[in-house]
Amino acid sequence: MTLTQHVRNGWYLGAWSDDVGRTLTQRWITDVPVCFYRLPDQTVTAVEDRCPHRKYPLSLGHLDDEGTLQCDYHGYRFDGRGVCVGVAEQADRPKAALRRFPLVEREGAIWIWPGDPELADESLLPDTSWLTDPSWTHVHGVVPLKARHMLLLENLLDLTHETFLHPTSIGNAAVAATPIDVTVDGDRVGFSRRMIGIEAPPFYEKSCGLTSPVDRWQDGDFYPPGIFVLNIRVAATGTEEPDGFHMKVLYGMTPGRGNETHDFYALGRDYLIDDQELTRFQHEQQLAVMQEDVDALEAQEIMYATDPGGTAESSIRSDLAALRGRRAVAKMLAREQRAQQDARTPHSRPSV
Amino acid sequence: MTSPSATAPDTHPLGSAAAATPSGTRRGTEFEGTVTVLARQAVGDDVVALKLVASSGEPLPVWQPGAHIDVVLPTGATRQYSLCGPVGDTAHWQVAVLREPDGRGGSQWIHDHVEEGGELRVRGPRNNFPLRPAARYLFVGGGIGITPLLPMIAEADAAMAEWSLLYGGRTRSSMAFLAELESHGERVAVRPQDKHGLLDLAGFLGDPDPSTLVYCCGPAGLIDAVEAHCADWPAGAVNVERFAAAAVRQPADDAAEQPIEVELRASGTTVTVPPGLSVLKAVEQAGVPVLSSCEEGICGSCETSVLEGEVDHRDSLLTEDERAANDTMLICVSRARGGRLVLDL
Ligand code: FES
Ligand code: FES
Ligand SMILES: [Fe+2]
Repeated sequence: MTLTQHVRNGWYLGAWSDDVGRTLTQRWITDVPVCFYRLPDQTVTAVEDRCPHRKYPLSLGHLDDEGTLQCDYHGYRFDGRGVCVGVAEQADRPKAALRRFPLVEREGAIWIWPGDPELADESLLPDTSWLTDPSWTHVHGVVPLKARHMLLLENLLDLTHETFLHPTSIGNAAVAATPIDVTVDGDRVGFSRRMIGIEAPPFYEKSCGLTSPVDRWQDGDFYPPGIFVLNIRVAATGTEEPDGFHMKVLYGMTPGRGNETHDFYALGRDYLIDDQELTRFQHEQQLAVMQEDVDALEAQEIMYATDPGGTAESSIRSDLAALRGRRAVAKMLAREQRAQQDARTPHSRPSV
Repeated sequence: MTSPSATAPDTHPLGSAAAATPSGTRRGTEFEGTVTVLARQAVGDDVVALKLVASSGEPLPVWQPGAHIDVVLPTGATRQYSLCGPVGDTAHWQVAVLREPDGRGGSQWIHDHVEEGGELRVRGPRNNFPLRPAARYLFVGGGIGITPLLPMIAEADAAMAEWSLLYGGRTRSSMAFLAELESHGERVAVRPQDKHGLLDLAGFLGDPDPSTLVYCCGPAGLIDAVEAHCADWPAGAVNVERFAAAAVRQPADDAAEQPIEVELRASGTTVTVPPGLSVLKAVEQAGVPVLSSCEEGICGSCETSVLEGEVDHRDSLLTEDERAANDTMLICVSRARGGRLVLDL
């Protein structure tokens, strides 16, 4: 696995709505510095966090009540559309404008398209209506990860690791012992694993009040390059939907700077939604499990980074979804690079 | 049961220490011809055992535990089934066939069409899963994966080795050969999943012990779990035979069992790939370096661009669209329809 460049023509989770307000927030996304803020009408804006004057980070500047952004190095000022409206030094205004990124804000999430704005297509976003559906409740946040995006992607597409990495919470032998079905739909990769009559892992025992044996389903969908949705169903064995407990986990796997990744998460459930104690417990567990992943991925990152020649990897059948995920991302990247190449090659002119 | 390694005898399953039989010793001891079905018997839900004799009346070749034969169906497709009768019996062979509704139709055909007195074309035996001598054996069988273990157990027993078997299946009634296995008493633990849940591999396998060999055959998940459990066991201690993904790797038609010509355009050379050899191996033997790792059609490292010819895809990785595009192939397992390929190598 050598992929360290990032696909830019795709939606990434850029921020949770409640992270972004009238202050300037910097976040690197696919190696691009981005400054998020809200205008007075509450619409969210994301601009490249490099002043067109001498590249000072705009996020170190100021936002006034009218929504004018000022660079705090030499005083360039930009209006709500990112157009330079003046600078302290001189009366005429410099010709400059900020690069603004396509954004979609819905259900408490801010999605950003760091690539070609022409290609930004909202219909590529997954359904996240459960984040605001009144019959669901969820917790969310973001965890910093010092490992490349691809490692996180493979971690999520191969949940077999739960057996080994999360044995005290969500994993047990049943996970690794149950094969997955992998499906591919265009760029999308999905997998499903149905564990029937298994021992309930501790997390599910506690969060659903179930005792073994249980049926547990995992249906994961990867929306490349950076979104993963896991549907979880747990039920006393033999009871079919809708008797089960439903949970959903959304992961925004957003490449940051270099081999760093923002690991956004939202964990939702459709039962006992008013039970604050359960919410607290689930959030704690989610973070504990993610920490186990973060520790593993950061250890793994060092091994990939120090082995640039790439000793051969060995793969097994349960890697199939992750391997397909890799291919999906590699293909998107190749497509993007081809398009850039085409754009750079001057079109041949008819000779006169 | 089928054995994926049978179609690519030069490779053996990832993580398995099972050595392939050297190809030289195979010739001459193989039978290829017609057998008559002497008996057909239901031995579990959707499992039939077939007792076969050579139609000519000749004795059949001897075989060793772990061996399988190819059954060549009238459709041209080939399926592998482990031999599971008594090893010394050269008059009869026995195989057991599970009806796999989700498979590619081979086992269904056998269930629906093979009657007592009927004939089948077979080839073999070959052994990619040989039993090595040891003081103690732990056998783990899942479902129809019990078949290669039966003669192994008989041999271990005859050699007075210490052994035990953990046998899992969906339900008790789906599990074949229970009566004869249970006659071994304590050594055999029968654990249908509906009663006992997943197999207690940790309890059964325990800690590594240098005198012990593990033999496992069954669904991929079970094998993965056994391999995972034994990850830090000595090399060679764990021997597995996979069959779950085998359907993908069967030849699509008779033509696939013919030698193929592969032109390596970039190197300006052409190699002939005989049926038993993978394109990968043939290319390597021609001195052209190629990357490979799993040699099972999983990892994608041997992916090669196809310039001409129609690919018979037998890997597990490519998607339907990628297969249909016919512009790339995993040369460790995939072959050609129509006898010829041009690769960008
Ligand atoms: S760098 Fe921003 S005004 Fe000079
Ligand atoms: S070597 Fe792994 S797919 Fe061919
Ligand atoms: Fe994990």
